[in-house]
Amino acid sequence: MFDRKGQIRIIESFLAIAVVFSAMLVSVTFPSAPDLSKQKSLASMGTQTLLTLDTNGTLGNLILQQNWSDIKTVLDILLPAGVSFNLTVCDENGIAVNSEAIQNSNLLGREAVSVQYVCATRSQTVQFFVVRLQLAWMG
Amino acid sequence: MMTPYLTDLAQRDDTGRFQHLASHLLLTTGAPTNWGQLASSVPSSLGLAKASALRPYELDTDKVTRLNSENIYSLAYSELWQALGVKDVSFQIEIRTLFQLSIELLSNLTQGDQRVYEFEVTTSESGLPISTRLSSYVVLRDFVNETVSSTSSDGVGTFEIGIPNSVNGTALLLVFAQATINPQMVSLGTYSLGHNSDDPLPNATFTRLSPLNYVLNATLNYATVEISKAQIFTFSYNFSLSLNTQGAQTVEYSVPHLLDASPIVMVLTGVNGSTSFAEFVAYPQTPLQIGAKFDESIAGSRIIVYRHTVTINSALYEVVTKWGGLSGDV
Repeated sequence: MFDRKGQIRIIESFLAIAVVFSAMLVSVTFPSAPDLSKQKSLASMGTQTLLTLDTNGTLGNLILQQNWSDIKTVLDILLPAGVSFNLTVCDENGIAVNSEAIQNSNLLGREAVSVQYVCATRSQTVQFFVVRLQLAWMG
Repeated sequence: MMTPYLTDLAQRDDTGRFQHLASHLLLTTGAPTNWGQLASSVPSSLGLAKASALRPYELDTDKVTRLNSENIYSLAYSELWQALGVKDVSFQIEIRTLFQLSIELLSNLTQGDQRVYEFEVTTSESGLPISTRLSSYVVLRDFVNETVSSTSSDGVGTFEIGIPNSVNGTALLLVFAQATINPQMVSLGTYSLGHNSDDPLPNATFTRLSPLNYVLNATLNYATVEISKAQIFTFSYNFSLSLNTQGAQTVEYSVPHLLDASPIVMVLTGVNGSTSFAEFVAYPQTPLQIGAKFDESIAGSRIIVYRHTVTINSALYEVVTKWGGLSGDV
C-alpha cells in the first residue's frame, strides 16, 4: 500500500516537472506580437522623407526625368543607414513606371511597412504619380 | 515566465512615448512661440518649430542656435529639461548637415606675385559619395577670393585658389557644397592656414561670436583686439556686414534675411597686436549637441534614437534625438 502511494507521488512530480518545462519552452519559442510602435516609427519616417523630397519639387522632377538612380541616392541620404527601402512609382492607373528597382536591399522575409504618397509634378502639364515606399529595419 | 512579455510591453510603451516626445519637440513651437529671438527668455514649454512654418519639421533658426553652448544666449540642458516637462525622461539633441564635407590641402606653389593653394574636397554620407556643386571662398584680412567647382560622382573634387603675397596672416577657407540632386541639401566645411605666417590659432581664440535674431554679437576676448572687417557668406552670396553698435569689448552687426537655401557663415577678420585672425560662426549655429551624456550612462540602460530630416532657413539638416530614463545630467 505504502509503495503504491510513493510511486504515485513520483509520477506526480515527474508530471509537474514536465508541465513546468513545456511552459518554459512555449514561452521561449512562442512568437511575440509585432512591435507596432517600431512599425509606426518607420511609417512616420517614410512619410516625412517623401514630404521632404517633394517640398521643392525634386521628387516630381526626378520622376519626370525617369532618373531612378538619383531617387535612390536621395533616399540613401535621407533615410538612416539601418533602414532597407524599396520604392515603386505608379502612374494614375496604378501601373508601375520605374523601369529599374529603386531599392538598397531586398525586403524579402522582413517585417516591412508601406507608405503611399501622391506626387504632383510642377511642370506646365501637371501629372500625378502614386509613390509607394516600403521600409524595414535591417538585421 | 511572464517577465519577458511584461518587459516587452513596458519597452514598447517607452518607444511609443519617446516617439511622441521627439515629434512634439520638432513639430511644436514651444512657449512663448518666439522664445528663440528673446535673448534672455527661458521657454516655459519646449518646441523647436518655426512659429509661422509653411510645412511640418521646419525649425526656427534662433531656437536651434540657442541650443549651441558656444552662443552667449544658449540655454543649459537643465533649462531645456525643465521646459520639456517630462520628469522621468532624459534626452539629447544633435543637429548637423545632411552629409559630410572634408577638406585636404594638396599643395601650395608660388606663381608670380601670389601663392596658389590646391585643395581636395570629399563629400559623402555614411560612405556614400555625393556629387555636389562647390562654392569656395578664401578670406584673409580685407582680401576675398571666390572659386566655383564641383565634386564628381565619386564625391571628390579639387580646386585651386590664389592669395597674393602682398598680404600675410591667417587665411580662412570656406567651402559650401550643394548636392546636385537636391539644392536644399547643403554642407559646409572650413580650413584655416597661415599664409606667409605661422600656423593659425583655433577658432574663437580672439572673439566669441553669437548670432541671434539676425544680429551678430561679437565679444572680444582681449582689449587689444581690433576688428577690420565683418562679412557674410552663403552658397550664392557674400558681402560686408553693417555695424550696428560698438561697446568697450562688444561689437554688434546687423545680419540680413537671405532666401538662399544655405547655412549662413559670418567671418570677422582683424588683428591682436601683430597677430592677424579670421574667425567664423555659422547661423544657425550648427553642428551642435546638447543634453544627457548617454555615452557615459550605465551599460544596459535603454536608449531610443530617432533621426529626422528638418528644414532650417530653406536648407535641409539632420536632427538626431536620443531618449532614455532619467540620468544624473540635470
